[in-house]
Amino acid sequence: MKRVSTLHCFGLATALCVFLSAGGSAPIAAQATRTSSNAPGATVPRLPGGRPDFQGLWLKSAGGFQGLFIGSLDGTNLAAGGARGGGTRGGPAPSRYEYTPEAEAEKMDRMRRGYEDPEARCHLPGVPRALDQPGGLYPIQIIQDEKYVALLHEAMHDVRIIPTDNSRHPRNYWAWDGDSRGHWEGDTFVVDVSNFNGRTWLDMAGNFVDENEQVVERFTLTDADTILYEATITDPTVFVKPVEMRFTLKRVPAEQQILEYSCLEGERSLQHYTEEDGGKKLRTK
Amino acid sequence: MNIRSLRLAFCSIAVAGIVTALALTGDAQTQRPFTPARLSDGKTPDFRGIWQVRDTAYINIEGHPAEKGIAAARSIIIDTPDGKIPYKPQSLAQRQENYKNRATADPSIKCYQAGVPRATYLPTPLQILQSPGNFAIVYQDNHAFRVFHPDTRPHFDSADWWMGDTRYRWEGDTLVADVVALTDQLWLDKAGNFHSTDIHIVERYRMTGADTMDYEARIEDPVVYSKPWTLRTVLYRIKEPSARIIEDECLEDANGVRHHISPDDPKNLLKSDYSRWKKPTQK
Repeated sequence: MKRVSTLHCFGLATALCVFLSAGGSAPIAAQATRTSSNAPGATVPRLPGGRPDFQGLWLKSAGGFQGLFIGSLDGTNLAAGGARGGGTRGGPAPSRYEYTPEAEAEKMDRMRRGYEDPEARCHLPGVPRALDQPGGLYPIQIIQDEKYVALLHEAMHDVRIIPTDNSRHPRNYWAWDGDSRGHWEGDTFVVDVSNFNGRTWLDMAGNFVDENEQVVERFTLTDADTILYEATITDPTVFVKPVEMRFTLKRVPAEQQILEYSCLEGERSLQHYTEEDGGKKLRTK
Repeated sequence: MNIRSLRLAFCSIAVAGIVTALALTGDAQTQRPFTPARLSDGKTPDFRGIWQVRDTAYINIEGHPAEKGIAAARSIIIDTPDGKIPYKPQSLAQRQENYKNRATADPSIKCYQAGVPRATYLPTPLQILQSPGNFAIVYQDNHAFRVFHPDTRPHFDSADWWMGDTRYRWEGDTLVADVVALTDQLWLDKAGNFHSTDIHIVERYRMTGADTMDYEARIEDPVVYSKPWTLRTVLYRIKEPSARIIEDECLEDANGVRHHISPDDPKNLLKSDYSRWKKPTQK
């Protein structure tokens, strides 16, 4: 049986297969069900219970970490608040990965072996990489009720069904995406992510975490069509200080839809080829 | 309590019992429809929850004898006289070939998404996510999901997908989904039952009680089958309070690494173990 699929949705070269426009020019969904005129964030859509309604199809704007590393493999990161990274003007100073000496050596080693990126082997990206996919490529469908916020990622058909009850992480459970438990802080949905299996890379450039990774994510609707996403990554055995990440997700027009992503190996993506097999030599300083 | 009142009590119990029995019989005979709870809009039937079948149709939807560790099962095909798929002759030969090679040829061994309807009757749970205007099913197996789109817009069928393209509508309290654009690399079970890209499925999801849901799929594929046929199974609600869909990352080799390409294939570039990072200290 022939193995090759109709679609290889991996890498920049396949950006075109992300989603389609089924025609029409319906206005961008602004299905505010209830608004209160004097509260902060008054224009954001809300569920009947009053919580902000994140539902819809979303696409990462420019910025984030991975988006930068695709163009800049030297480790420079201007994403969080940086002017070039698409952050907000006047935001905090750019954050960098600051490794322990051992982890720095490991990172440099992995950078040379980009073909070992687990995502290139079709593994789940982990958190926050699930959201920090190359900007503009893969949308996220959010479905939400009073008990959970579910993120359906087109990329890697990754799914996170995040309970909103601030329940405890399970014992004896480790996963590529860890275990996510959410709660509300006002209009911000805060997610604590733990129980990682320690195998994920943060990007294609060898930045990595181990199973001591902990992430706190903050989702905030800043207007009807914008989610501010903030993540703080701590990993005491890898980083000497927490890493801060920030970017926005923009609402995708309602006439577009999420498509199926099917990760199949054998892609001609130079990023993941060894030098002897024709891959690019990466700058390693 | 005197004899008379005792008799009366017995009588009442007996009458109550008969009435209950009649009611139950009536229920079974007339299939009085169950009315599911509603979503926050007060209209949409609420199918939310974690569900799983109890049969072993994933082995062979035509039924199968007992195997090591697996109980025998009847066919879940309801509208052919022998419970078998009405294959055209040449397709039946292909099925027999698939069956012979099933240990290695089953696409699910390659970590591909299971397809429709196979994902429904896998021995792993699924979760229905729903809100007014939204309907999606997340399958634990291989973290596949399907976003159901209203049938007010046409199918997106210019490509073939592992999980197809789904358009749905409500017929009363039954969700009716129309599924096309499935790749022909899918199997319907572990026994090599298969279809072509011409497959067209009409699924019907109907709650029959607070914790049971009938699932029916009418399947037509004029390339492979001589006539349309229908399978039916029951999804049961998983009721453990802590039940969740957990991450099911499909792995093909003993080191926990996923390869669609054989390790011996020259195209496979994984030449060392990327997970050898030994952290200096542990929590």
